[in-house]
Amino acid sequence: MIILVLLIATALAFDFTNGFHDTGNAMATSIATRALKPKTAVLLAGVLNLVGAFLSVEVAVTVTTSVLRVQDSDTGQLLPGIDASMGLTIIFAGLIGGILWNLLTWLFGIPSSSSHALFGGLIGAGLAALGLKGVNWGGVSQKVLIPAVAAPLIAGLVAACGTWLVYRITRKVLSRRREEGFRWGQIATASLVALSHGTNDAQKTMGVIALALITTGHLTGDVKNDGLPIWIIASCALAIGLGTYLGGWRVIRTLGKGLVEIESPQGLAAEASSAAIILSSSAAGMALSTTHVATGSILGSGVGKPGAQVRWAVAGRMAVAWLVTLPAAALVGALSYWVSYLIKDLTGSRLAGDGVIFLGLVGLSLYMWWRAQQQKVDHSNVNADWDETTNSVVPADVRNKTAGGSEQAPPKATTSV
Amino acid sequence: MHYLESIFKVLVVGLLLGAGLPALFATGMLAYSFGAGGEEADHVIHKPNPPLKYLGIFLFLFVAFVIVTAVAWITRATIMHHFGIDLFPMFPKK
Repeated sequence: MIILVLLIATALAFDFTNGFHDTGNAMATSIATRALKPKTAVLLAGVLNLVGAFLSVEVAVTVTTSVLRVQDSDTGQLLPGIDASMGLTIIFAGLIGGILWNLLTWLFGIPSSSSHALFGGLIGAGLAALGLKGVNWGGVSQKVLIPAVAAPLIAGLVAACGTWLVYRITRKVLSRRREEGFRWGQIATASLVALSHGTNDAQKTMGVIALALITTGHLTGDVKNDGLPIWIIASCALAIGLGTYLGGWRVIRTLGKGLVEIESPQGLAAEASSAAIILSSSAAGMALSTTHVATGSILGSGVGKPGAQVRWAVAGRMAVAWLVTLPAAALVGALSYWVSYLIKDLTGSRLAGDGVIFLGLVGLSLYMWWRAQQQKVDHSNVNADWDETTNSVVPADVRNKTAGGSEQAPPKATTSV
Repeated sequence: MHYLESIFKVLVVGLLLGAGLPALFATGMLAYSFGAGGEEADHVIHKPNPPLKYLGIFLFLFVAFVIVTAVAWITRATIMHHFGIDLFPMFPKK
């Protein structure tokens, strides 16, 4: 029971990091073009995520079953040979992998995919616990790998077309008037992305919590048809909304300032492309990562505007992070599982094992948060000029103030779990 | 093949809505701006042209209408679940 409570708390924490990691997907361009004040933008995004979470169409009970072979995909019952506490520990360790990777990429201001972090963590924990047979490889390639390649490409193409068209059509309109008009459109499209983010990503956490409850027998019945208990929906909605409101300023800065210097017509085209693709893909039953789509769109808006420059160095670093996300989160997930398992063997108590990895999670999270506080990026300096010599997410003046020691990379957080 | 097909579908819908609507919005802005009159980027001063301006407003409204419809379409199941109203009775549910 205590493990279950820890797991639900951790799942909500993941939802929270999911929110603040992804604020930028919706709002980065509006903040960069000053269509919205930074604080207003994150408030709007937070509220829309909250609303979106309540609008979730179908419960994503497929999150764990699509990558793991732990539970029956129809009923959520555990497969033979796996007991409840083992199932819970796998999900728990997976969530820890997801959260730690989200925080680490946030520290460096890299918009990596929260869904991949979650999937990676789960896969790692599943591998550690059950070996190769614990992972649903078909599901991994279909639901994770193929969309990951397709999403940025489609998004980039659509946004590039949109940007080119928009500039072509309005080339005779006075630029002051054009900027002003497009800002309104930008706010509308960005809101749409925030809303769709809520409908997409909050569901994943709801699915994880639902599965945990089914595992322990606290939740029975047909979740797909009857829906979830309202407290799960409400708490997930609140977690993602709050996370979004707090705003991952570092990621916002990279997306809004780092990749492309964005004007409002580009912002509109990028957000319109993101919204259209996220919504249509979820309607088509293909779960695309919001982050991949948004990043692809923003890149596309840089490619589509004649004469605009794209900072390919920043884009390249992001692409590397995307490739690494899944294995890295998997590693953390696997390590967490092993640590928990080892302690269980030593003390004979599952709770001790899970408690230790939970404390590890809390400790490392606080450490990364503290690191971020040393070189703060927030609403006041989110739009500071991008420093092209370092391509660092931390604005030059903040970095100089804390010079000395700050240039070293933070110690690898993943190794000490 | 199934995935290629859904990727292709998403691409087509994405192009239609994701690039088409911004283009329509831009056209609306062009019409509105020229309809309102005044100097434009080509340094020509245009006379106000009310019908053109209304065309612009109409295009803005049309874009808004498409967006609202699309959101309603996607959240249809939820709305039906909570309020018992089917927003698209003319299209049978899959």
